[in-house]
Amino acid sequence: MRLKLLARRLLLSLPVAFVILLLVLPLGFMVVVSFWKRALLKMVPAFELSNYLEFLTGTRLSVLGRSFLVSIEATTICLVIAYPIAYYLARHARPSAARLVMLLFTIPFLVNYVIRVFSWTYLLGRTGLINKSLIEIGIVSGPVDWLLYSDFAVLVGMISSYMPFMIFPLWISLAGIDHRLGEASSMLGARPWTTFRYVTLPLSMPGVFAAIIFAFVGCFGESAVPIILGGVGYQLIGNEITSTLDVLNYPLAAAMSSVVTAAMLALLALWYVAFDLRSFLGKILSWRMQ
Amino acid sequence: MTWRSWLVWSAIGAVLALLYLPLVPPLFFSLLPETAAEPAPTLRWYVEMWRNPLLTGAVVTSLEAAVTVALTTPLLALVAAISIRELKLPRLILGLMLLPLLVPGISMGIATAFFFKQIGIAPSLGTIVIVQILWALPFALLVVLTAMSTYDPVLTEAAHMSGAGRWRAFRDIELPLIWPGVSGAATFSFILSFNETVRTALVQGPLNTVQTYIWSTYKQIGLSPTLYALMTLLILLTVGLSSIAVAIRRV
Repeated sequence: MRLKLLARRLLLSLPVAFVILLLVLPLGFMVVVSFWKRALLKMVPAFELSNYLEFLTGTRLSVLGRSFLVSIEATTICLVIAYPIAYYLARHARPSAARLVMLLFTIPFLVNYVIRVFSWTYLLGRTGLINKSLIEIGIVSGPVDWLLYSDFAVLVGMISSYMPFMIFPLWISLAGIDHRLGEASSMLGARPWTTFRYVTLPLSMPGVFAAIIFAFVGCFGESAVPIILGGVGYQLIGNEITSTLDVLNYPLAAAMSSVVTAAMLALLALWYVAFDLRSFLGKILSWRMQ
Repeated sequence: MTWRSWLVWSAIGAVLALLYLPLVPPLFFSLLPETAAEPAPTLRWYVEMWRNPLLTGAVVTSLEAAVTVALTTPLLALVAAISIRELKLPRLILGLMLLPLLVPGISMGIATAFFFKQIGIAPSLGTIVIVQILWALPFALLVVLTAMSTYDPVLTEAAHMSGAGRWRAFRDIELPLIWPGVSGAATFSFILSFNETVRTALVQGPLNTVQTYIWSTYKQIGLSPTLYALMTLLILLTVGLSSIAVAIRRV
């Protein structure tokens, strides 16, 4: 009987073991490598801070700053667009219409985003669809240059890549709010805006939190979008790491990668403290306590 | 319709246009002939691309990896979901399982690539599959957990009272009820695996998947009509398959 229990425990801890062995351990090893030395084409074990110094004193630091800025911008724009849509679909639209729209949001997301990003180079280019239409309508006399290979193009690429990632958690959390709470609030005399501000918005925060994490982490580690839409010399931390790998400077790539991962985990810890995760997974966790 | 719902529906339309617009250009470019002398829309690139052994090899690798990931990940996610319910420290386990979602793709690729190299595992289909399972696991787990949260534990109690053991109650009562979550997780894992690019590129070694093939060809020689044809095929396949899947579920 005890043997059976032990076997059961072992089976149940298999996924945990899988993630620890194949992700946590490698991440730890990456941090170790970031202190190693580069010797010709190899890595030599050492304890040096030179990789971090090279990263944090050179131009690469401004790349890190720009990555933060661009990711914050893209996430904010996504949230501002996605929240009202999710709110309307979850609270006011007919359920069948809402399901159909959510489905329409899913399908392009299933097509690889690299392919979708390629298409933007054509759509935003000097002779692309958008410039042609603008000239046709007569809004501008010549092609607009800043549409492609610019911050604007990178933002468009990121927003269209991560929008579905945001709408889903927002929709799930908003649809899960008990309608009676809103009704109770208006029966007590609250105006619609007050009800939204003090009832609906706070209850939807777990979804907002999940949406922000999905979009921000995605944008921050992005390496394909800046390469395709940013143009030559447009560096974000993602493609900066890729180009460091291409010149075989593995310890430096490991150092940059460690800093990025640490930044993400710090943000996560902040959120973990600021938000009660139980409200997000309350149902599952409380059920366990029964 | 009030003005407010008008406003929201036009915003929804605009966002959908933003998402669907990029699916069109590859189709146009894939039909363009090489020179102006040839007949205008041509399907030759759709024939020609299959003569490239690199691409056919990549298709095979992609499918092998995606099928393996789709079969393995939901099982792992199911066990993980049960372990969250039954082992100690459920929040810690959950956090650990969601970690792959929160580590930037490039960092995950570098970390696993260095690690495999250090312990002497050569890049292969196996390393591709491991990295893609790690990537798909949090999504699969969330889908399974959502399905499980709608399951009423009273049913398990009823099964116990009727004399069923733990395993029997799980297999005959709970599993059939949460099965849509498990099969949904499998579909999700397949799609995530098939589309993964950044992580796969760092652990694939001499192999190529369809996505990394497109990516490396773009970086080395740029886009070509055959590449557009391949993209169009992928777009049509994805949109077609997901529409069929939806239609079946509706019936």
